[in-house]
Amino acid sequence: MAWEFFIPVFAIGILFLGLPWLVLHYVTKWKQAKTLTGEDEQLLDELYDTARRLEGRLQTVERIIAADHPDFRPAVRSDEELARIEMNRRN
Amino acid sequence: MSASRTKFYLDKQNAKWSGVCAGIAEYSGIDVVWIRVAAVMLTVMGSGMTLIAYFLIAWFADAKPYALYANREEAQFWQGVRSNPSRSTRDIKSRFRDLDRRLADIELYYTSHNKRLADEIDSLR
Repeated sequence: MAWEFFIPVFAIGILFLGLPWLVLHYVTKWKQAKTLTGEDEQLLDELYDTARRLEGRLQTVERIIAADHPDFRPAVRSDEELARIEMNRRN
Repeated sequence: MSASRTKFYLDKQNAKWSGVCAGIAEYSGIDVVWIRVAAVMLTVMGSGMTLIAYFLIAWFADAKPYALYANREEAQFWQGVRSNPSRSTRDIKSRFRDLDRRLADIELYYTSHNKRLADEIDSLR
């Protein structure tokens, strides 16, 4: 008798309290872990852009120096080596 | 700069239907073929929930702004940011460190080079 009375109570409790709690709990966790604020995103964008531009400029400078001074054996890398470095960075 | 790069967009340029699968592929970096196969399989084998979800997403999500990314490399970079921002940050840091090292090489070359030249001039006197 007692069982039949408790089953709907449990069911309603789980459905209307437990489930939303679980969902909201993970939603808040996910938000805390993942969100990047708009400012962060913009900063990251600028940094990425700056790094790419600087890399391009530095590569130009290195090529000019290498052309002027044949003994300059810098980090002037061949394209293959650059690709390899890029791959290592990705992995 | 106004459009967020960490939002989910419908990818109308590569769309088969509404661009939901293409958008998911663009967002996550998983090949679009697998997303589409999974979507169709789930629809066939499961209930109609995938279809409902598909239409809801197609209805609510915005279309991707034109020319959000300048090139393929940038798109890949932002895929990385979406999946793991801290790794992307480290990635940029290592790029700057590499730049620093290469600049230091150039500086060292010029300073030591001039020093050698100065030594030679000195020896000629």
